Amino acid sequence: MSTELPYAADAEVSLSYDELEVLRLQYEREQLQSHVTVQTKFNYAWGLVKSPLREHQVEGVRLLQDLYRSEPTRRRECLYYLALGHYKMGNFEEAKQFNGLLMEKEPTNLQALSLGQLIEKGVTKEGYIGMALVGGAAALGTLVLAGLIRRATRK
Amino acid sequence: MAPTGSQSTINVKLLLIGNSSVGKSSLLLRFSDEQWLPEDESSATIGVDFRVHRMDVNGKKVKLSIWDTAGQERFRTITSSYYRGAQGIILVYDVSSRESFDALPRWYSELETYVSESVVKILVGNKEFSRQVPTAEASAFAQRMNSLFIEASAKTSVNVKETFQEVVESILNTPALWNNGTTGQSKVQRTDGGRGGVPGGVQIVGLSEEQAASEGGTCSC
Repeated sequence: MSTELPYAADAEVSLSYDELEVLRLQYEREQLQSHVTVQTKFNYAWGLVKSPLREHQVEGVRLLQDLYRSEPTRRRECLYYLALGHYKMGNFEEAKQFNGLLMEKEPTNLQALSLGQLIEKGVTKEGYIGMALVGGAAALGTLVLAGLIRRATRK
Repeated sequence: MAPTGSQSTINVKLLLIGNSSVGKSSLLLRFSDEQWLPEDESSATIGVDFRVHRMDVNGKKVKLSIWDTAGQERFRTITSSYYRGAQGIILVYDVSSRESFDALPRWYSELETYVSESVVKILVGNKEFSRQVPTAEASAFAQRMNSLFIEASAKTSVNVKETFQEVVESILNTPALWNNGTTGQSKVQRTDGGRGGVPGGVQIVGLSEEQAASEGGTCSC
């Protein structure tokens, strides 16, 4: 019997178009009545953050930031989904920062711990790509340099 | 199709539901990690958590995806979207909390909305101190609701493995859950059609501001 690490499910599973529509319509209807409830706004932001589209994620994070500021009682879930949203956008620094704030309050929160692992993985991957780029450039430089030296010594 | 062949892995999706702080996450944690977090170290689940667990049932390899949902009212809308495709539902209440037992009809009516009748349900009475809900009463209720029943303790690990084992065995023995597109899934598709599986939209309207505020007061943030 083997187990796998807990996993931030919301990072990869997105809503269908229809599902997100329901949340969006609810939000817009309340906006028209110029009274958006916290719950509606949060639900819509959550749906947006889960979306694979970057513009959705950006909008979701913006709404969550609003909520974070205006609703102290909703801060823990806002922190979690803010970290998730930034992680999905590849903003690992911000993701770490928000997740870190949650971990400060709840050091044993398993969801925050597993999201933290995902963020670290993202950072490492980005690091490898960076190193590969730098490494590639260095290798190319060495070749060019070697060529130049060879040419120079031949003369 | 009914799961055949002992070589290929069978995927099973389970969902844990029930009131806040009855011990859904603790059961899952105990099951998947053989771990127990004391109450002051465990925190309320945010939205949904997810674990993968592999087990052998009657010689078949089963990959369990277990979705652990937040019990807090404020997450009701968003967690309802995870019912889709679930073959087994684990309903949890706290044996020492009458309130969590009395809330079960509400959870069952949510199930009626979101999953087909053939989905396997198990009622789990968790924890075992200062009992408020008699076993016989809970067992009779479970029978009425066409559910399996077990009392387990995430704290002492008693019956935790058995809970999951029973659900999975029962799922494997329910052909309706393996005929894609026919009886097993029909209801799921129907409810999905118009409202996209977030019929909880209704609940958003229903949730009053005070309710949201009082919920916030009891949250562990």
